[in-house]
Amino acid sequence: MLTTIIRKEFTETMRDGRVRTASIALLLLLGGSLLYGVRQTRLLAAERDTARQVTRSHWVSQKPKNPHSAAHYGIYAFKPRATLATLDDGVDPYVGVTTWLEAHKQNEFQFRPAQDATSAQRFGALTAATTLQLLVPLLIVLLGFSAFAGEREQGTLRQVLSLGVRPATLGTGKALGIAAALGVVLVPATLFGVLAMTGIGAGSDFTRVLVLLGCYLAYYIAWLGVTLSISAVAKTGRVALAGSLGVWMLVSVLAPRLMTDIVRALHPTPSAAAFASAMKRDLDGGVDGHGGAAERDSLFEAAVLQKYGVDSVAQLPVSFAGLSLEEGERHGNEVFDKHYASLWSTFAQQERVREVSAIASPVLAMRSLSMALSGTDVAQHVHFQSAAEQYRRQLMTAMNGEITTKAKGTDFEYRADSSTWAKVPPFEYEAPAVGWVLQRHVPALLLLGFWAAGMVMVTWWSIRRMTP
Amino acid sequence: MLQATALSKSYGEHVALQPLSLTVSPGEVFCLLGANGAGKTTTINLFLDFIPRSAGTATVNGLDVAQHSLETKRLLAYIPEQVNLYRNLTGLENLTYFQQLSGQEPLGKPALLALCDRVGLPKGAADKRVSAYSKGMRQKVGIAIAIARNARALLLDEPTSGLDPQASNEFSAVLNDLRDNGVAILMAKHDLFRAKETGTRIGIMKHGAMVDEFAAADIGHADLEQLYLRHMRN
Repeated sequence: MLTTIIRKEFTETMRDGRVRTASIALLLLLGGSLLYGVRQTRLLAAERDTARQVTRSHWVSQKPKNPHSAAHYGIYAFKPRATLATLDDGVDPYVGVTTWLEAHKQNEFQFRPAQDATSAQRFGALTAATTLQLLVPLLIVLLGFSAFAGEREQGTLRQVLSLGVRPATLGTGKALGIAAALGVVLVPATLFGVLAMTGIGAGSDFTRVLVLLGCYLAYYIAWLGVTLSISAVAKTGRVALAGSLGVWMLVSVLAPRLMTDIVRALHPTPSAAAFASAMKRDLDGGVDGHGGAAERDSLFEAAVLQKYGVDSVAQLPVSFAGLSLEEGERHGNEVFDKHYASLWSTFAQQERVREVSAIASPVLAMRSLSMALSGTDVAQHVHFQSAAEQYRRQLMTAMNGEITTKAKGTDFEYRADSSTWAKVPPFEYEAPAVGWVLQRHVPALLLLGFWAAGMVMVTWWSIRRMTP
Repeated sequence: MLQATALSKSYGEHVALQPLSLTVSPGEVFCLLGANGAGKTTTINLFLDFIPRSAGTATVNGLDVAQHSLETKRLLAYIPEQVNLYRNLTGLENLTYFQQLSGQEPLGKPALLALCDRVGLPKGAADKRVSAYSKGMRQKVGIAIAIARNARALLLDEPTSGLDPQASNEFSAVLNDLRDNGVAILMAKHDLFRAKETGTRIGIMKHGAMVDEFAAADIGHADLEQLYLRHMRN
């Protein structure tokens, strides 16, 4: 009996011209955004590879020079684009994917496409994620709004219920029939997406793909539940459609908008200028905001002289310049750690609010998980930034150490030869494993599961109480 | 087969059905006559357990409809005044769907086509989408569904209103067939002539109450009309 219901729902849906048009439109949109994403990923990966090679070859082919000059010359670090970023750019366009690693500074990220974007793009680029998170739910609404309400209006529900069909069976059959119709769009799109992405090397991301598929499954189950429960109680198809669209507006458009404002009000991010000037204050003074550079310098010099048991800098067996540069880095790192730690903890708090707020909207949970699994969330941005900074510090220590050990006393003119540069290993970054990522999104995972299970229960409940 | 005992329904102050008792045995056709709002449809809805009753009982084959909501429905077939079908499916697909949903062994396509023929659906119409059907054709599919389901009792709510005389006549013939096969039929009617023709018992309803009940054989056409009008005028 269940298969009869499924088949009938499927046939009826597929014969509906509106559904056909909407499905084809969505399929085209999905295909288009996927193709664009794949092209973008290939392009960016190629650009990144070239840039990586260029920055490395620039580094190793430096002429003999003072290592500190080399440190100022610096290296660029590029965040690798995960294959799944094809689906979801996440925060990348806003926070950038490139940073310059140089002496004395932890630089801000650069290459932020959002800075160059026109105002029209503020509405959001058409990524596969937008289509999957906002437009597929609309198709679900279109497929499902009339499931019960339309039949109630047409009078067929009365006849079906007069047959002695268990309402739960009817509901399950309808849900699966609609799912099958949805599958006509989503299964080819998924296969196409997986194939297209395999072409650019999705192998290592396989677990992420599976988890992402699971998340979308739960997300669509929640939407199907919303649509069917509204349909089960609405008097007419039109009321059901208006109801479902209303919910869509609330949770897809209003809730995220509102959430941005709430997050900003609860945990404000400092402006770039304020952040920079606070950091400069600490760099110039002590970390605690007291004492000055001059005071620090004389204290350090006294300590070094005492350590080596000499009376003047000129008598030092090592280079004082190297030591004080390293001391400068140490002081700088302390300041960076303090300020970035507080910035990142603000980001983390914002993220937590955003995830918990998914209790009001499954879209927020899905969006967060989509970015996370695509490797483009804030946590993974911070992960990369920390790795790059770690590398910068090693690089600086290596360069300063070179000066300290190879030069003596007040010798500022030391030149390292070209072989020095190649001794520095290139920057290799490995993105965190899926477990690391999911750990940071437990609220979103739980809430998405809660939405799916909750909506199934609500649907069950409203169908059982359904009247003809 | 169908039995109501002091069955009543009220919505707050408004009494839609005053305590009603009636029995329809296998092979009987019970016609409920009366104006709109007399309680005929309410009675049928109560037998279908589509609305909760206020008092009394309604049973099908001895089973209480409220307690055995699904089982009793499986013994019934219901044809409303307007048989509603899925517009995007063909007549045959509709018939197949409703037949299989009754939880019976699926009938093959030949059996279902034969059924379409028996109820007088024009040749070739079974494979056309229902959106192109006339009201009469939809009613015929409704009857075919009722027959296909092998129901023990039929609940008919003005099933022939709006049908042309020929279709109406064919419908009566099918009903007589079913009646002779031991199906119990409860039918709400406007048409006194048809009620007298097909009914074995006739009940006249007014303002939610059954005001008269008698065997159809005991009364002539003219007398039935007189009796009906007298009740309506009171």
